[in-house]
Amino acid sequence: MKRNRIISWFLLAGLLFAGCKKYLDYQPQGAVAAPGLTSPTAVEGLSTAAYAGIANDWWDAPITSNWEWSSIRGGDSYKGGGGLNDQFQMDRYEQFYLVAPDNNGAGDFGFPGAWIRAYGAISRCNAALRALNAISDADFPNRKSRIGEMHFLRGHMFFFLKVMFNRIPWFDETLTDAQIALVPNTMSSDSLWYKIEDDFQTAVNDLPTTQAGEPGRANQLAAKAYLAKALLYHAYTQDNQYTVTGTDMAKLNQVVSLTNDVINSGMYSLQPDFAYNFLDGHDNGPESVFAIQYSINDGTQIGGRLSMSTSLNYFGGAPQYGCCAFHIPSQELVNAFSTDVNGLPKFDTYNNVALTDADLTTNGVNMDPRVDHTVGIQGHPFKYNAALPYDHSWERDNGDYGGFGTMKELQLATCACFKKLGPFYGTSVNMDVIRYADVLLMQAEAQIQLGNLNAALTLINQVRARAAAISPLVKNTDGSNPSNYKIDIYKPGVNIVWDQPTAFKALQWERRMEFAMESPRFFDLVRWGIAEPTLNTFFATEKLRHSFLANAHFTHGRDEYFPIPQEQIVFTNGLYTQNPGY
Amino acid sequence: MRKLQILLPMLLLALFSLAQQKIITGKVISKTNGEALVGVSVQAKRNTVTTDAEGKFSISAAVGEILNFSFVGMTPLKVKITSSTSNLNLVLEESNIDLNQVVVTGYKSEKKVDLTGAVSVVNLNDIKNNPVSSPMLALQGQVPGLYIQTDGSPTGANGAPPVIIIRGVNNLNGLGNLNSPLYVIDGVPTIQYQDFANINTNSIASIQVLKDASASSIYGSRAANGVIIVTTKDGGSSAAEKVHLQFSSLATWQTEKPWQEPVLSSTQRGEALWRAAVNDGSDPNTISTSSIYQYQWNNDYTNPVLNNVIVAPYVGGDSLEPSASTNWQNALFKTAFITSNDLAISAGNKTSGLLIDLGYYNNNGLMQFTYYQRFNARINAHTTAFNGKFRFGENMQLARTSQVNSTTDVGGDAVGDLALTLAPTIPLYKTDGTYGGPVGPGYSDRNNPVDMQYLNRWNTNNLFMAYGNVFAEIDIVKDLVFRTSLGFDYSEGLVKLIKQIGDEGPVNSFNSMLEQETKEFTFTWTNTLTYNKVFGKSKLNVLLGLEQVKDDYSTFGAANTNFAIQDVNYFQLSSGSGAQTVNGSATGYRLLSQFGKVFYSYGDRYLASVTVRRDGSSRFGTNNPYGIFPAFTLGWRINNEDFFKNVTAVSNLKLRAGVGTVGNQQIGNLAAYTLYYANYGTSNPAYPLWLNTGTAYDLQGVNTGTLPSGFVQTQLGNPNLKWESTTETNIGVDYGFLNEKIFGSFDWYNRNTSNILIQPPVPGAVGEGQLQWVNGASKNTKGWEFVLGYRNRTPGGLSYGITTNASHWVDKITALPEDVRAAYPGDPNHSIIGHSQFSIFGYKEIGIFQNQQQVNAAPSQPGAGPGRLQYADLNGDGKVDVNDQTWLGTTLPTLEYGIRIELNYKNFDFSVFGSGVAGKTGFDPVKYMNSFIDTRNNYGPGVLNGWTVQKPTSTPALSILNLNNENRTSNFFYVNASYFKIRSVQLGYNLPATMAKSIKMEGLRIYVAGDNVLAFKNKDFESKDPERANSFALWPVPTGFTIGINANL
Repeated sequence: MKRNRIISWFLLAGLLFAGCKKYLDYQPQGAVAAPGLTSPTAVEGLSTAAYAGIANDWWDAPITSNWEWSSIRGGDSYKGGGGLNDQFQMDRYEQFYLVAPDNNGAGDFGFPGAWIRAYGAISRCNAALRALNAISDADFPNRKSRIGEMHFLRGHMFFFLKVMFNRIPWFDETLTDAQIALVPNTMSSDSLWYKIEDDFQTAVNDLPTTQAGEPGRANQLAAKAYLAKALLYHAYTQDNQYTVTGTDMAKLNQVVSLTNDVINSGMYSLQPDFAYNFLDGHDNGPESVFAIQYSINDGTQIGGRLSMSTSLNYFGGAPQYGCCAFHIPSQELVNAFSTDVNGLPKFDTYNNVALTDADLTTNGVNMDPRVDHTVGIQGHPFKYNAALPYDHSWERDNGDYGGFGTMKELQLATCACFKKLGPFYGTSVNMDVIRYADVLLMQAEAQIQLGNLNAALTLINQVRARAAAISPLVKNTDGSNPSNYKIDIYKPGVNIVWDQPTAFKALQWERRMEFAMESPRFFDLVRWGIAEPTLNTFFATEKLRHSFLANAHFTHGRDEYFPIPQEQIVFTNGLYTQNPGY
Repeated sequence: MRKLQILLPMLLLALFSLAQQKIITGKVISKTNGEALVGVSVQAKRNTVTTDAEGKFSISAAVGEILNFSFVGMTPLKVKITSSTSNLNLVLEESNIDLNQVVVTGYKSEKKVDLTGAVSVVNLNDIKNNPVSSPMLALQGQVPGLYIQTDGSPTGANGAPPVIIIRGVNNLNGLGNLNSPLYVIDGVPTIQYQDFANINTNSIASIQVLKDASASSIYGSRAANGVIIVTTKDGGSSAAEKVHLQFSSLATWQTEKPWQEPVLSSTQRGEALWRAAVNDGSDPNTISTSSIYQYQWNNDYTNPVLNNVIVAPYVGGDSLEPSASTNWQNALFKTAFITSNDLAISAGNKTSGLLIDLGYYNNNGLMQFTYYQRFNARINAHTTAFNGKFRFGENMQLARTSQVNSTTDVGGDAVGDLALTLAPTIPLYKTDGTYGGPVGPGYSDRNNPVDMQYLNRWNTNNLFMAYGNVFAEIDIVKDLVFRTSLGFDYSEGLVKLIKQIGDEGPVNSFNSMLEQETKEFTFTWTNTLTYNKVFGKSKLNVLLGLEQVKDDYSTFGAANTNFAIQDVNYFQLSSGSGAQTVNGSATGYRLLSQFGKVFYSYGDRYLASVTVRRDGSSRFGTNNPYGIFPAFTLGWRINNEDFFKNVTAVSNLKLRAGVGTVGNQQIGNLAAYTLYYANYGTSNPAYPLWLNTGTAYDLQGVNTGTLPSGFVQTQLGNPNLKWESTTETNIGVDYGFLNEKIFGSFDWYNRNTSNILIQPPVPGAVGEGQLQWVNGASKNTKGWEFVLGYRNRTPGGLSYGITTNASHWVDKITALPEDVRAAYPGDPNHSIIGHSQFSIFGYKEIGIFQNQQQVNAAPSQPGAGPGRLQYADLNGDGKVDVNDQTWLGTTLPTLEYGIRIELNYKNFDFSVFGSGVAGKTGFDPVKYMNSFIDTRNNYGPGVLNGWTVQKPTSTPALSILNLNNENRTSNFFYVNASYFKIRSVQLGYNLPATMAKSIKMEGLRIYVAGDNVLAFKNKDFESKDPERANSFALWPVPTGFTIGINANL
C-alpha cells in the first residue's frame, strides 16, 4: 500500500515538472515560418508568387482587366447583366451616381476590393525584394533580373492604383509592415508619378533584353514601354480639379526615346491579323509586350488559373454559355466605327444616327473592320466563326442593354482554352497589358504633343493599315464581309488636313477603335482632361436611346477618380485624405 | 435473559397493535424507464421498510395513515391508506429538485445541496421523446442561460452545429462555434459538438450546465463559454442481477406548410414590375423583364391603368419550357418522415455493470433530396477488484452519421432563398421531363432550387466518430482515491462533392468529383487524486489533478474531372479522365494543465471552495503559454441554521456567491507564427473561389501543365499572445417552500472579459497575409436568470406542475482598439464602445413622403420624392447622409424564457412546453419582399399595395431604380423579432403494470406529441417565423407530429 502511494506521488511529480515546455511546442505543418525564406529556392518562390499576385483577381474587383473601371465608365460600354440591380454597384459606377467611399454601406467589394488586391500584389513584390536584397548574386545568379522584375510588377500595380484613385499611399520594400501602415496618401500626384517611373527605370536598368523560355517575365523592353506609358500620363499636368493645365515636353521626349528603343529593337511587331490578339494560340506573340499569363488544366482547384476578371461577360441567352452578359458595347461606340466615304472616322457626325442591324450589313454603312473583332452584331460571325452568327436571342436584358455583345475577351465554348465554371467562364488566353500597337500610338501621341505631326502620321497609319488588312477570319459563310468595310490611312492633303488639332483627334480616335472594349478608354479621357465634356455629351444622346441612363451625369473634379475606400481611412485611423468631392 | 424481559412486552405490544393494522404490499417502479426501484423508503407512522430487488415491499399500516415513499432523485409520494387499500403499484417520478441529488461538477461529484456555483441540472424527462437528432436541440429554452438558435434542418444548422451559447457571448467571436461550450462527457473534455450530439438520450444519466466562472474554472482554459457535463449510464447501480431491456421508438411527420410565406404569382409579378417601371418613368415594355412580360396599358404615366399582363408563353423562347406559375416552396419542400429507435441493454450487480445502447435515427428530409441518418452505439462497462478498492472500466460511443444537406445554386444562393425569390414563370420541369431553368432574356442567373438539390443528391457528408475513455480508480489509503483516465476522441469525416453537368441554366460544362477527408484525434490523459474526509461536523474534499491534451487534425483530398457516365456508381476517383489534383494539410495543438480544488463545509451550513488551474497551450507560442485561473466560492445553507428550524414553510434556502476566472484560446492553432504557404491553388477546396490567393503562375507561357509556384505570407505571427480571460462574479439563491412544492433558484452575475483575442483588420496597403491575432478588447456581460416552479397533487390523484425559467443578459464592449472599430457597427461619432457587439447600426425611417411639398420641406435627402421613404436627419444638419445613423437594436435577444406545464392523472400524462425570446431586433425578409422590387427576383404580395398618388399607402412606391437607396440598413425592415413558440405538446399513456406484465413487460408507455405548433410574434415582424428571421437560407422550422413508445422488458 505504501509503495503504491509513493509510486503515485512520483508519477504526479514527474508529470508536473518534466518536459512541459517541449510538450507545448507545436510546430507548423506544411508551412514555412518567416525566417526560413532565405534559400535561393525560397527567394525564387517569393518572386514567382509576386507574378501570381498581379493576376489574382475575380470579376467582383478586377485588377487585370479594367472593363469595370474604364470601359463601362468611358462610354465604350454599358454594365450589362440582368437588369440595373444586377451588380448594382457597377450601375452606380457607370452612371457616376451614388458612388460613395463606403457605397452607402451597401456592401460593395468593387473598387475597395481592387485597392486590397493591388496592394496585396505589391506586398508580394516587397516581400520578394526584401529577400532578394538579402541574398548574394553568387547564391542566386538571377538576382539582378528578379529585382528588376519585382520593380516592374510593383510599378505596374502602383500605376493601376494611381489611375484608379489618384492619391495613394506609396512606399517600397525598405519600410516594415508596421511603417507601411503609417504611410499617408499625401504624396503629390507629381511625386507619385516619379516614384512609379523610378520603379520602371530600375526595371530598365536591371532587366535583360529577353527572358529566354519565360515569356511571362518582364524584360527590359517591356519596362521601357511601361515607363513610356507612365511618362505619357505624367506629361499631362493636372491641377487639383483634374483640369489638364499643360504638357511636359521633356517627359514627352522621353516617351519618344523609350518607345523608339522598343520599336527599333526588332523584337516586336503588329500581328499580321488583328484577330490574333484576341484568339487562343497566339499568346506571347509578336505584338504582346507584356501580358497577364493565364493557364488551363494546370492542376489548380478550379481547373486553371483562368481569366476570371471577365468571367461575367459571356452571353446570358446563348445556350453554350448561359450567363451573365455584362460589358455590353454602347450604341455610341458602334456608331464610332462608322467611316466616311474616304474610309476615315466621321469625327463630328458619327453619332447623329443610331446604327441598326440593317445598317450593319455587307451593303450597309461604311465601317471600320475592327468593329467585327470587337462587337457582336446580329447575323455577323461570332468570334471568327461564320457558322455561329451572333444573335439577339443571346442577349440577357434586351430591354435595358439590348443591341450588341462584347467579343474581344470572349472565346468560343468549343475552344480548348475555355472553361465553364457554373455561371462563370474563364479562358487561358492571355490578357495583354501593353501590346505593340499601344507602343506605336503612345509615341504618336507624344509626337503630336511635341509638334512632330509627320512622325505621328506614320505611326497611326501603321496601325490603320493593319486594321485595313481585312481578316479572312471575319467573313460570312458565303465569303462576303459581314459589314461594309471602308477604311483608309490618313493622307494629308488628300483625305485630311493634318494639322495639330486634327492629328490629336485622329490619335484619340485611333486609340478608341484599336483598343475598344480593351478598357483604356476612361483612363485616356482623364489623361487628356476631356472626361467631363466627352461623357456628358455621351450621356445626353445615349439616354435617349437607353432610358436607364436618365440619371447619369459626370461631375468634373470628382468623378475622374474613385473615392479612397472609407474602410481604408478607418483602418488607418483617418490617416488617408479623401479625394475631393466625396 | 435480561434482554428477553425487555423484548417480550414489546412483542406483545406489537401484536396488539397489529390487530388494528393491515398489511399493504406493492411495487414501486420508475416513471422514466419503468424499472423496478430498489431501496425506496416506505414510511408508515410506526415503521419503515425499503423495497427489495424487484421493487416490492410489504408494510403494515392502519387505515387513514399516510405512507410516504421517498427515493434519492425522485419526487416523494404520499398515499393515504383506505379500507380498500391492499396492493399498491406506484410510479415514482424523477425529480430535478431533489436536494440530495448527486451531480458531477468537475472531476468529482458532489451533492446538489453543496453546490456553490451556478449549475443547472437538466431534467432528462423533459428532453426525452423528442424527434430531434441531438439532445442539445431538445434543450432549447429549458435551461436558463443556455441559448440555442437553430433552424429546421436535421442537425439544427444544415450540417453545422447550431448556435449554443451560455450566458451570452463572452468575446468578440460572434455567434459561431468559436463560442461553443466545453463538453465534458464521462470526464473527457471536448469542444466537438458532435460528441454530444451523437449520444442517445436514453443512455444519458445526467446533464449539468456549469454557467458561471466559479463553477467552471476547474476546467480552466476552455471553460470560458461554460461547461456542459454529461454522464452516461453504466448499468451497474442495481443490486439485482437482472438484464434490463429498454426500447424506445418514435415516428414523426414534419411539414413546413404552416410556415410558408406567400409570394406573387406569375401575373402578379408582372403587374408589380409594370407599376415599378411606370413609377420610374420607364417604358414597362422595354425594361429588362420585357421578354417575360408585355403590357397593355393606357400609356399615361400620371394616371396609369393596366389592362392586361401578357406573360411570354415560353421561358427563353424554348418551346419545351412553357411559362408557369410555380410555387417553389411547394416544389422544394416535402413532408419529412423521421424514425428514431433506441435499444438499451443493461445488466449489473454490486461490483460490475454493463450498458449496451444501440440507436438508429433516420430523417428522410424536409427538403427534396436531403436526408440525415445515424447509427450509434454505446458500450459502457465497469468492474472492481481487490474488494472494491480497484475499479476500472470504459465508456465508448461510436457513431456514424450520413447526410445530404441543402446546397446553394451555382452562383452561391441558398436554395431556401430561391424557394421564395426565383421567378414563378419558370416551370419546375420542362415538357421533356428535365428541370426547368432560368435561361433566356429577362431572367436572373439563379438556378432552379429543386434541380440544384437533385444535382447535389450524391454529395454525402459522412462522419465516423469514436469517443470515450478507459479509466481506473484506486483507493490508495482510506479516503484517498487516485484516478487515471485515458480519453480519446476520434473523428473521420468524408465529404463527397460531385459536380454534374446539368440540364438547366448556367451550370458546369464539365463534371468533377472531390473526396475530402478530415481526421482528428484528440487524446486526453487525466490523473486526479481526491481526498474526502469528515471530521466531526466538518467535511473536507481535496482534489489535485493533471491533464494533458494532444490534438492532431489532418486533411486529405483528391479530385478528378471528366466522368464519362453521370451515375453515382460511376463516380469514383479513378474513373475520371481529366486533370487529377490532390490536397492535404495538418495542424494541431497541445494543452498541459495542473489543477486543484479544496472544498470545505461545516455543519451542512457553511460551504467554501477554492479552485486553481494552470493551463499551458501550444497556441500562444513560447512567450506566454501559461494562464492561471483561480476561483473562490462561499455558500450558506440558511435553512440548516438552528434559528431557522422553526420556519417550516421554507424547506430549502441557500445563498451562494463566487468569483472565478476562466480562459479562452479560440484562435488558430498557429496564431503565434508568421507563416508562408505554397498555395498552388488546390489547398482548400472549400475556399471561396473569389479569394484568389494562389502562388502559381505560367511564367513559361505554355498555358497548361504544372506551373512554377512560390510562397505567400498567410498570417502575421504574434509571439506575445496570451490567454483571453473572463472574470465573473455570481451571486445566487436556491429556494424551496412548502416542502419543495415551490422551488427554484435565482442567479445574478457580472462578467468581464479582458485581453479578448481579436484579429484587427489591417490597412489594405500593408498587403496580403498581414492579419494578426492580438489581445485587444474588453467586454462586460451582466445578467440574471431564475427558475421558479410549483408542483402539487390534488386529492383526486391529479398531480400537476408548472416550471418557468427566464434569463436576461446585456453585453457591451468596454474597450476596443481604434483600428478595429471599423469592423463593428457604428461610425466615428457613434462608437460601439458601450454597446453590444450584436448592435445594428443604421437609419431611422420616419414614414413615406406623400407629396412634393413634404419633400421640399424636409431635410434634403438624395433620391427623395413622393412615395419614397423618409429618413430622419438625426444630427439636424439639414441633410440626410451617412452621419444620420444610429443604434437600432441588437440581433441577440436580451431575454429568453420558457414555461412547462405538466399534468399526471392515473396512467395519463400530459405536458406543454413553450419558449421564447424578447429584446431582439431582426431583419425581416418578408417585410423586405413585401416592400421592394427588382427585376431579378420574386416578391411578396405586399408590393401590390405600393404607394401611388392615387392610393397613398404605407408601402414605398415600387421602383426598380431605387434611387433613394432604400435597401440601406434601417428600422424599416430591422424590426422587433421577439417571439414565443409552443414547442411541444405531449400526451402519454402508461399501460397499467398488470397489463404490462401480462405481455411480459415491466412497463410500456405510448405517446403522441406535436412540435412547433404555434408562434406568437410582434405584428411589426411580417415573417411568420421570427426564429428563421434573418434569412430564408435557413431551413424553415417545421411543425411535427410524433407517435412513440417506450418499453421496458
